[in-house]
Amino acid sequence: MTLLSVRDLVVRFQTHEATIHAVNGVSFEMAAGETLGLVGESGCGKSVTSLAITQLLPVPAGRIEGGEILLNGRSLLGLPEAEMRSIRGTEIAMVFQDPLTSLNPVMTIGNQLTEGILAHQDLTPAQARVRAVELLGMVGIADGQKRLGTYPHQLSGGMRQRVMIAIALSLKPKLLIADEPTTALDVTIQAQMIDLIKELTAQSGTAALLITHDLGVVADMTQRTAVMYAGYIVETAATPELYARPRHPYTIGLLNSIARIDREPAALRPIEGSPPDGTHAPEGCPFAPRCAWRLPTCWRENPLLAADDPVAPVITTGPAASHLVACHNPATPDEVSAGRPLRQGFVAAPNPSWAALNPALAAASAG
Amino acid sequence: MTAIARPDEGPIGPEVPIWQPTTDLSLRPPLSPRQLAWRRFRRNRLAMTSLIVVVALAVIAILASVIAPYSPTEVDLKAFGKPPSLSHILGSDRSGRDVLSRLMHGARVSLSVGVVAVGIYLAIGITLGSLAGYRRGWTDAIIGRVTDTVMAIPALLIILAVVPLIGRSPLNIMIVIGLLNWPAVTRLVRGEFLSLREREFTLAARGIGARDRRIILRHILPNVTGPLVVLASFGMAEAMIIEAGLSVLGLGIQPPDASWGGDLQAATDVGVLTQKPWLWMAPGAAIAIAVLSINFIGDGLRDALDPRASGVRR
Repeated sequence: MTLLSVRDLVVRFQTHEATIHAVNGVSFEMAAGETLGLVGESGCGKSVTSLAITQLLPVPAGRIEGGEILLNGRSLLGLPEAEMRSIRGTEIAMVFQDPLTSLNPVMTIGNQLTEGILAHQDLTPAQARVRAVELLGMVGIADGQKRLGTYPHQLSGGMRQRVMIAIALSLKPKLLIADEPTTALDVTIQAQMIDLIKELTAQSGTAALLITHDLGVVADMTQRTAVMYAGYIVETAATPELYARPRHPYTIGLLNSIARIDREPAALRPIEGSPPDGTHAPEGCPFAPRCAWRLPTCWRENPLLAADDPVAPVITTGPAASHLVACHNPATPDEVSAGRPLRQGFVAAPNPSWAALNPALAAASAG
Repeated sequence: MTAIARPDEGPIGPEVPIWQPTTDLSLRPPLSPRQLAWRRFRRNRLAMTSLIVVVALAVIAILASVIAPYSPTEVDLKAFGKPPSLSHILGSDRSGRDVLSRLMHGARVSLSVGVVAVGIYLAIGITLGSLAGYRRGWTDAIIGRVTDTVMAIPALLIILAVVPLIGRSPLNIMIVIGLLNWPAVTRLVRGEFLSLREREFTLAARGIGARDRRIILRHILPNVTGPLVVLASFGMAEAMIIEAGLSVLGLGIQPPDASWGGDLQAATDVGVLTQKPWLWMAPGAAIAIAVLSINFIGDGLRDALDPRASGVRR
């Protein structure tokens, strides 16, 4: 059953200087209990997508300008704020990146834990505190009763993130959105947090949308992965499939730029250049300027997300989800490990606007 | 030349054991931000002394009718303008009233003007400031313009014009001071809200489904307490000075009722100023001590509550 369905989501930010095209038509679905990783570089629209789902975009600058968001078949867009508020926490809960800044420094842990419980459930403060101690135990904080009276600065980073997770799960949401939950933590704690989130969501059947730029984290805890670039989903597949057979040059770039214990350190290859700043709606494929596989078409036409295998029926959720890729010239398996196109005589198509200035290049781009 | 002892040349003095904590530090009850601030405040000697002075003044003000040797309006026909003596410790004024008793009762006026006026403007300022800073948009625009307008009004002029019209009672003075001084609070609160509402904990609170009211009152406002307490203490001192000034000008508390400023008015007479210093020195000193003490408390609070100072003087 589909829990969350995002269709053609478009989010733009109006600033004084320009319009930022943050999310440019993102579609994905999540089944109940499923874990989906949303990966990409900073500024590619991952967090904006998650804030759009919960409708916590900074107003009035950020606006959802198109598309649909359905939760259990009910459209969330256009819901009055009061109804949206009752969904937040109970249906969709969030864990943020930095547990120090997401906890209020002048409120006790106990008050912050019982906040959601008291807002949504008919419990007395005393009952809520009992529940809070239970929740702390669930996330591995033993002496919960004592911890309720402490302030965030008295806890370690890992503890704080445990508290954040406890708060997020306090109302047994159907969907947990974790926005870079491990980025602010040190590596040993990161693994603990991933295990904790994985374990708790599996226990309660909570679907988890994990937003991260850390492909290691995604490989560890998600069933499915969607790779975002410049506000588009450029490739999505079941996580093992995506790691085994990436097709999009951007995904390959990401995979080649992480250190893996089973590979030579020399094999680290960063992606050259930086993502577009989003002030212009891109013409053509947004990745073309950084892509080694680009064809002349890539400069003109933005490829649509389409099934890698055109014959099989498209499955959007679950472990058997279809491999979808948005690329005019996807890489072949040997090119993946090489990290560059291996075809005889292949040259990445030059930018036509530069080519216009140089007749020699123009000939190349026409061919 | 003296040889410099090196570690490899063995211990210089008797063997010093490695320091071992005698108590398990982790078992110490954790301190709340308020406790930490109080600890820092306690270490500030000037502020602590001032706090004691102000508390003493408050006690005197509250108990004035019990502990004062005379009634503030009681006339001693045998002592018109007499210097300090055994029967009138601080002397008596030209109408034969006991200066010390008037001083004690005057403390009531001064302190209550400070407290009530600041209470009024904190209430207005916090309400408007949090609305403007949290809601932003047109709410902020309207409140901002009203704030600017009130700020542009010369307070003393309005007081001079309005107080005689509505009556020269202490309460009226408190209300007028309160109604004219809220813009500073509004601006402070608005500014803090603008920055705090963008903090992640506000987003997290909204993410768990908390209402705006709760976010404003429970999440953001407590974070503004520090600067507000500091502002309030300086505001109290200022209100007391304004009241004293008004009374000196004859616009405040009217004789025979006692107030520090009113008694200070006697000093406008050159004869009193030069010949009868006990008539103005006592109320003058009272005003100076009270205002200074409150300012020192404000300074101490600022140092104690400033998060950047945390951990420096522990």
